Amino acid sequence: MLSSRLKYLQVALNRPLSESLFMIQSLPRDRRILIEVGTPLLKRSGAKSIRLFRDIIGEEGYIVADTKCMDRGAREVNISATAGASAATCLALAPIETIEEFIEKCRAYNIDSMLDMLNVEFPFEILQKLRQKPDIIVLHRGVDERYQKEIPQIPYHQITRIKGTYNVFISIAGGEDFKDVKRAIFNGADIAIVWEKFFQNPQQMQILATKFLKQIR
Amino acid sequence: MALEKRVNYLQIALNSTPKEAREIIQYVPQSERILIEAGTPLIKNYGIGVVSQIKDWYFEKFYPKYYQEKSKKSPLAKSPFFNIVDLILSETKKEILKSQTMKNLASSLLKEKSIQSKSTEIKEPYIVADLKCADLAEREVFMAKNAGASSATCLGNASIATIDKFIDSCQEMGIDSMIDMMNAENPILVLKQLKKLPNVIILHRGVDETEKNKEKQIPYYQIKQIKGFSNKILVSVAGGDKMEEIRHAVFNDVDIVILWENFYHPSPEISNLANFFLNEIK
Repeated sequence: MLSSRLKYLQVALNRPLSESLFMIQSLPRDRRILIEVGTPLLKRSGAKSIRLFRDIIGEEGYIVADTKCMDRGAREVNISATAGASAATCLALAPIETIEEFIEKCRAYNIDSMLDMLNVEFPFEILQKLRQKPDIIVLHRGVDERYQKEIPQIPYHQITRIKGTYNVFISIAGGEDFKDVKRAIFNGADIAIVWEKFFQNPQQMQILATKFLKQIR
Repeated sequence: MALEKRVNYLQIALNSTPKEAREIIQYVPQSERILIEAGTPLIKNYGIGVVSQIKDWYFEKFYPKYYQEKSKKSPLAKSPFFNIVDLILSETKKEILKSQTMKNLASSLLKEKSIQSKSTEIKEPYIVADLKCADLAEREVFMAKNAGASSATCLGNASIATIDKFIDSCQEMGIDSMIDMMNAENPILVLKQLKKLPNVIILHRGVDETEKNKEKQIPYYQIKQIKGFSNKILVSVAGGDKMEEIRHAVFNDVDIVILWENFYHPSPEISNLANFFLNEIK
């Protein structure tokens, strides 16, 4: 579904459903723009948010359901896929059995599997244990971690190491502005996820997406 | 904390659909020792609103008069103008949210709740919102509180910053904090790093790992370790679905026994198990 020759911008939407639906309409329609139904939005409004996003962006658009699955892999993939998601996320902190079930079911439903390395110090330890590898690996620091005294760094250094070993896409989250998006892509990431800026200033979404499409190929 | 030490609780997990959840509630006896859980798949599929729906179905069963009054309360709901009114109300709510801090709002919600329960003498059910929070703790706790949950869950292997924020927010908003130690190797190591301790620790094996790996057992040995670390923490264990298993869990010093297998679909077995628990386990 995703092309290894393209770079993508994933826009995470976490505002209330009505506002998020309004915000999607202001985004440029392009296959390089991925729309994410963020975890808080999913927990607040349920899978109907995925269905409504799909109604607005049409069959061609790419929707990530940030389910952050921790257990019942098959069930969560089923919820996301039947609602119309193109990809779903699973926490790498979950038991190996859950991650494997998740990846297997994503294949069965023909959607992309994203493995979220939130709070995982050594991604390789997890990846080595998996029989099938996920399609996409998400590297980032958590939002709550940014309010600590010592803010952890976005793990750019892991991008080339993982890509050198496994045939997977790398997605980087935790950036705040266009500079961070550029940094993620220049460090070898395939997908840059943004949300913080939009959360505070939704109007800037359109500007950043257009800039991304123009400046990053 | 709304839960008491030295009392054993039975937690009934609702995981399938709102329709089945409503049917299951018909089989649940009324007791302060019965907790109802809005399971993670239910929340992710239908949204956090299921928590208030569960509450309504509980009132429908045990306080039908109160439920009818509550449903009748808004005649506008039936009017075609309801959507407009709803929109205006939601805009007003947004303004309130902007002007007040979360803390103020939570305390006003608490005040409102206490007035309400005093005047009607309605015993509200204890509802656990199994959010399995991994990040953005404050927002998730607020969401749970707003929907009427009595407690929420956070992952024990989330970052320490997230767990600290989660416990803090639960305290501020007046709900119990539950930390789910699924796949966390050493719960004590997590507890040692926290600024404040949670109200409840949940010990269990995930559904997928239990089904695929029969060798993995419920870590009963960790209960003594946790209670030795702090005698204020309650321990909750997903302890299977049979009477012997409930007895076994309580014998191992579990405070809250979580049942989910049998409760996945409505059946009279729910009443039998719950009544067995209420009568036999004190």
